[in-house]
Amino acid sequence: MVHTMQQEDLKQDLKFDAKPKKFVVWLFVVSSTIMFGGWTSYYIVFAASKGKGHGLVLPDAFMYSTVVLLLSSVCLFLASKALRNENRSQQRMFLWITLALGVVFGYLQFQGWTSLYTTGAALINNNAAISMIYILSGFHLLHIIGGLCFILSSVYSSYKQVSQEKAVYRQEITSIFWHFIDILWIYLYVFLLLNS
Amino acid sequence: MSTISLQDTHHHDNHDDHSHGHHHETFLTKYIFSQDHKMIAKQFLITGIIMAVIAMVLSILFRLQLAWPDQSFPLLETFLGKWAEGGRIRPDFYLALVTIHGTIMVFFVLTAGLSGTFSNLLIPLQIGARDMASPFLNMLSYWFFFTACVIMMGSFFVQTGPASAGWTIYPPLSSIPKAIPGSGLGMTLWLVSMVLFVASSLMGGINYVSTVLNMRTKGMDLWKMPLTIWAFFLTAILGILSFPVLVAGVVLLVFDRSAGTSFYLSDIVIGTEILPNEGGSPILWQHLFWFLGHPEVYIVIMPALGISSEVISVNSRKPIFGYHAMIYSLIGITILSFIVWGHHMFVTGMNPLLGGVFMITTLIIAVPSAVKTFNYLATLWRGNIRFTPAMLFAIGLVSFFISGGLTGIFLGNASLDINLHDTYFVVAHFHLVMGSAAIFGMLAGVYHWFPKMFGKMMSAKLGYLHFWLTFICAYLVFFPLHFLGLDGVPRRYYAFTEFEFMQKWLTVNVFVTWAAIIAALAQVAFLWNFFYSIFRGKKAPQNPWEANTLEWTTPVEHLHGNWPGEIPTVHRWPYDYSKPGAEHDFIPQTVPFSETMSSNLPHDFEGNTEAEEIQKAWDVKNKPVQDAE
Repeated sequence: MVHTMQQEDLKQDLKFDAKPKKFVVWLFVVSSTIMFGGWTSYYIVFAASKGKGHGLVLPDAFMYSTVVLLLSSVCLFLASKALRNENRSQQRMFLWITLALGVVFGYLQFQGWTSLYTTGAALINNNAAISMIYILSGFHLLHIIGGLCFILSSVYSSYKQVSQEKAVYRQEITSIFWHFIDILWIYLYVFLLLNS
Repeated sequence: MSTISLQDTHHHDNHDDHSHGHHHETFLTKYIFSQDHKMIAKQFLITGIIMAVIAMVLSILFRLQLAWPDQSFPLLETFLGKWAEGGRIRPDFYLALVTIHGTIMVFFVLTAGLSGTFSNLLIPLQIGARDMASPFLNMLSYWFFFTACVIMMGSFFVQTGPASAGWTIYPPLSSIPKAIPGSGLGMTLWLVSMVLFVASSLMGGINYVSTVLNMRTKGMDLWKMPLTIWAFFLTAILGILSFPVLVAGVVLLVFDRSAGTSFYLSDIVIGTEILPNEGGSPILWQHLFWFLGHPEVYIVIMPALGISSEVISVNSRKPIFGYHAMIYSLIGITILSFIVWGHHMFVTGMNPLLGGVFMITTLIIAVPSAVKTFNYLATLWRGNIRFTPAMLFAIGLVSFFISGGLTGIFLGNASLDINLHDTYFVVAHFHLVMGSAAIFGMLAGVYHWFPKMFGKMMSAKLGYLHFWLTFICAYLVFFPLHFLGLDGVPRRYYAFTEFEFMQKWLTVNVFVTWAAIIAALAQVAFLWNFFYSIFRGKKAPQNPWEANTLEWTTPVEHLHGNWPGEIPTVHRWPYDYSKPGAEHDFIPQTVPFSETMSSNLPHDFEGNTEAEEIQKAWDVKNKPVQDAE
């Protein structure tokens, strides 16, 4: 008898608890922000000591990709809303659109690099500020790939009959991460625009 | 006990999304890919110990070279082959030895081995949680660390040898493969290993912070947490905020080395060849590196300080002196550690005004450090001290923290540092204040929590032998180095015979090397004690040190989920030792005030007037009136 009571307690305690896990994602956001902070501060110190930035007009593709990424965030927001209304099929649709927009974003970034490269601003460059454009956008794109994995996990749970609690948790961490990389890109883009 | 544990592991897994496969615990899920924080802690500890032994052997190798630069040791050639042709260590291998020794000790032993072991073990146990916020991430953290270790060791087996640009891997030495053999493949492996290591640290740190903030048991508010938890918590925050910057720097270095960018390179000529790289600045690496590097030394020392707070208080049978001051000084150190990195760079041509700023912040950080030191001493003062091996090591930490900390004040002064920079004075300073102190804190933790980890006791006699030999030899090794430094002897030099002004220090080097060898032999006592006791040690009682914290309320026999029943509720702070009027000289955190009416003090109730009234009524009834005069 004692045993079963203890097991009940344990069951209660080990029930799925989303809060600490969500917090983990937030902390990841913090540390990732700091990594990019490290690069942008490199850029600031470099530009200040050399008296020059990248000195380029950034390719239009980066502007389009920014718009696409913003749209994807809107779609993800709508997906969350659909899930809150327990409308799984609508959630799934918006998630697929978000995913597609994410892929388009990646494509546009490649376009941006190509046009940078063809105008002579290659990664291997004696102006480290130009190389930095590639580093920043490249590592941001790695985050996008991570974000796409998050979205896929949400898509997966919208097909499977997972509990509402767990589906909401997956959708929430996807949202935290995706909106973060959206804002991160806007920061990087504006940073590069202002510090040319 | 064991039946309970078995049944529990069977049951809970249906509800825990992440612990698949525990239904029938196999060797693989129990010992290898374990998600239980206690097992992961042991994995970190044993890996850390193995890495520490390797780093120690490396240090003995280069100490041999320093003591007897002209002598041949044929045995070395047998083991090291071409790295010690003719029984003499080659100059580039000497550099590799100091580089890898530093890297292993700072990162693999004193960061992962220390935080990884004790944060994993103690955070859930001392705050009253079943496990970490994300056990899966926790497991991943260990395996990233393990892979990093393997890659770092693997660099000993490549043609060009391991990285040899020093543990700070300053470019351009580290960024041009042609600069020295070690900057070839060995450096690449170093960088890969460090990226994995940082990933591991981040996964661990993020988990620790989330667990401490979200998963404390009922009654465990932040101001009732043991100082160990405060230290681990703030250490994890430091890691989360500083390690990503190292990754940022390392990525740029990787691109400089492999892609041909010029982040850190400019105007380099090798022989007659002019490198194409232009426009970069190696100083920027130093900024990025030390922005991590300085918080890193606090990542190393703060867990050790936390551990010794606990050990000293338990074994002095006294509440820790200045509990709040201890926490505020930890917080102070955490914040200040981010604005002192420039003191590593006084000689880089830094603007003297900026140097002055860094000097002031550096000297200010001595204040919280001194507060902690005085609090340790005040805790010991007139305590009912029990000299357990853990206690000796904790006191040893305080000793090293003082003697090494004092020289920090010298080095923090820009004008003095210009003289002392890159000399043996620096080596002596950080080996005492960060190396020896942190290792002693870690060993104190091992002796103290060994019963919790393995359910066995370590031999105290061997512990004393280990302590005294190590303590004395550590001073004999590092103290003389101050004088070499004051004389201007630079660190990382291969042979003292090559320079006339350094020759007089050769005899000192012989002395230091002998002390180092004895210290290394003393560790055999520890290793024997550790591994023998795991299997053959005396069975440990549940609360061998009569301590107050929650981990000693768990059964000796480990079980996934830590407590067989409900998680205990916390009613008081963890330092009620020798409380006047109490029945025993310790009152565990789980004992409510209603059970200790004879020893409650007015401030225990934190302004709860109802409880104060009850206490007053009890006092009037039960306590003889004696304060009348």
